[in-house]
Amino acid sequence: MIEIRDLSVSFGGVRALDGLSARLDDPIVGVIGPNGAGKTTLLNAFSGFVPVASGSLTAFGTDLLAMAPHRRARWGLRRSFQTEEMVDDLTVADNVRVMLDALTMKPREKTAAVERALAFVGLADQGRLLCAGMDLYRRRQVEIAKIVAGSPKVVLLDEPAAGLQPNEAAALRDILVAIPETCGARVVLIDHDVDLIAAICRSTLVLDFGRRLAFGPTGEVLRDPKVKAAYLGLKEAA
Amino acid sequence: MSALEARQQSAAGTDGTGTLRLIRLAGLVATAALVFGIVPEVLGSLWLKVLISAAIYGLAASGVALLYARLGLVSLMQVALVGVGGWVTLKMWHATGLPFEIDMLAGGLAAAIVGALLGLPALRMRGLYFALVTLMAAAAFQIFITATQFPNGGEGWLGVSRSAPAFMPRPLLATTDAAMFRYVVAVAVLCFLAIEACRRSRAGRAWALIRKSEASAMAAGVSVAFYKLAAFALAGFVAGVAGGLLAATIGVLDARSFPAADSVMLFALTLVGGAYAFLGQAITGLLFRAVPALLNDVGVDGDIAFLIFGAALLHALITAPTGIAGQLFGLFGRLIRLGGRR
Ligand SMILES: Nc1ncnc2c1ncn2[C@@H]1O[C@H](COP(=O)(O)OP(=O)(O)OP(=O)(O)O)[C@@H](O)[C@H]1O
Ligand SMILES: [Mg+2]
Repeated sequence: MIEIRDLSVSFGGVRALDGLSARLDDPIVGVIGPNGAGKTTLLNAFSGFVPVASGSLTAFGTDLLAMAPHRRARWGLRRSFQTEEMVDDLTVADNVRVMLDALTMKPREKTAAVERALAFVGLADQGRLLCAGMDLYRRRQVEIAKIVAGSPKVVLLDEPAAGLQPNEAAALRDILVAIPETCGARVVLIDHDVDLIAAICRSTLVLDFGRRLAFGPTGEVLRDPKVKAAYLGLKEAA
Repeated sequence: MSALEARQQSAAGTDGTGTLRLIRLAGLVATAALVFGIVPEVLGSLWLKVLISAAIYGLAASGVALLYARLGLVSLMQVALVGVGGWVTLKMWHATGLPFEIDMLAGGLAAAIVGALLGLPALRMRGLYFALVTLMAAAAFQIFITATQFPNGGEGWLGVSRSAPAFMPRPLLATTDAAMFRYVVAVAVLCFLAIEACRRSRAGRAWALIRKSEASAMAAGVSVAFYKLAAFALAGFVAGVAGGLLAATIGVLDARSFPAADSVMLFALTLVGGAYAFLGQAITGLLFRAVPALLNDVGVDGDIAFLIFGAALLHALITAPTGIAGQLFGLFGRLIRLGGRR
């Protein structure tokens, strides 16, 4: 269970998050909103990359804001970035392995966990390849493997399917859906693809200008006239 | 086979027929035979001393290369850290008389600590600003050491005697110039192996992520501050060991040999030689010490070397980011592929 309470983040005069509150209970929760609504800022607040002006963030009873960014990751906070961050001159396995380096596990357990994570995303026998020259879909696969390796508690995904071909996006979706039951983590998924959100998120949070425009079961939220006006309407107009 | 495929294959440890591996092994054996067997026997004392000094500065350059290649950091204080290691090694020997190896390790550790402390600003600053901080540290050391001189068996904490300077003897294993050359190369190789072991383990993965982006490193649970300082400590350690070796070769150190300008030159030549492979640092050491000596030998003013180095640096910056070593490896790879096609 993830609890966002009265969270505010500002950059100079811009209020990127403005008193946001929400209690995320479902295995996969969607976050949508127009460009600049504050979605990525919300994830950055979870990660500890932006200064939080006020409010609190707790997950499974742990106060996330009290921990340094790398300690949050060791605790079990995992995330992807809007632009993928694979390291070209590391092998696929090493890109995943780095997530486990700081955890207290035996080396053999770590190797097994890396293999399991790679198998989960469909890269079972490709651990020894370098990431250099890989296409975006494979990089996104490696990214998901990084996220599920070890024992994540909270997984935050920032537009993981952006830039993929429709068939690749569909394949990635099947992987994403399986995250909660595979590793027991709660997933927060940002995406502009409303069909994807509708298909895999039981509840959805809609942001606009850093505020909560709507929050609840995905179907209801997407039918909400406010949401249609602010977000979906904009899309149709465009 | 494309370059990428070649890299993929070597990463996977399946070098096609295994010929590449064989060639590499043969190259290593031949180099070792040349360096350990032939060079020390055929060269005169003068040129051996030049090569010893080249190997020592090649070792120091491996620290500069580590910071630059792994973290993108520009350190302009490496020769000052060599001086710190030399200072502590000499002080240790004159004060305790312990075997050279222990004094040298103490010099390495001291320079590691100083290097990590001076690396602290890198946690906040980057690029030019941090480079300037390191340059100021190098200048400060130059002023400090000119005022205090290196220990030579005198009284007091500084241990400087003006009337009766004492020499630190060579290590027991290396009393002749030929043996000293082998000793220096062996220590340098051990340090290279230590750096390589770090690069292939947890530290190397952490450095790779930090270089990619600090946010992605933190998101992976990597302590950015710890691994940055660890890199500075390792770079300082090899500089300190190099300083100890320098002190052992001559027995005394001269404050005039550690100007801040040499730190800048060592950085520039690290780029020219190639920061991404140890072959590059061997080339750096030769450029730094052997080329000026060679020019002097043929009657050209050694300062002409600066012109040559300037041109080489421009070449490296503009057309050869992996340095001479990178170009050699590229050439070698092309030759092998040509051979393979036949
Ligand atoms: N580091 C930063 N410094 C200054 N302003 C920022 C920073 N990060 C975000 N902002 C501003 O905060 C607001 C919210 O940005 P954010 O990236 O969270 O939006 P988003 O919902 O992720 O948008 P998108 O759909 O385009 O990814 C924007 O006005 C943005 O310009
Ligand atoms: Mg965003």
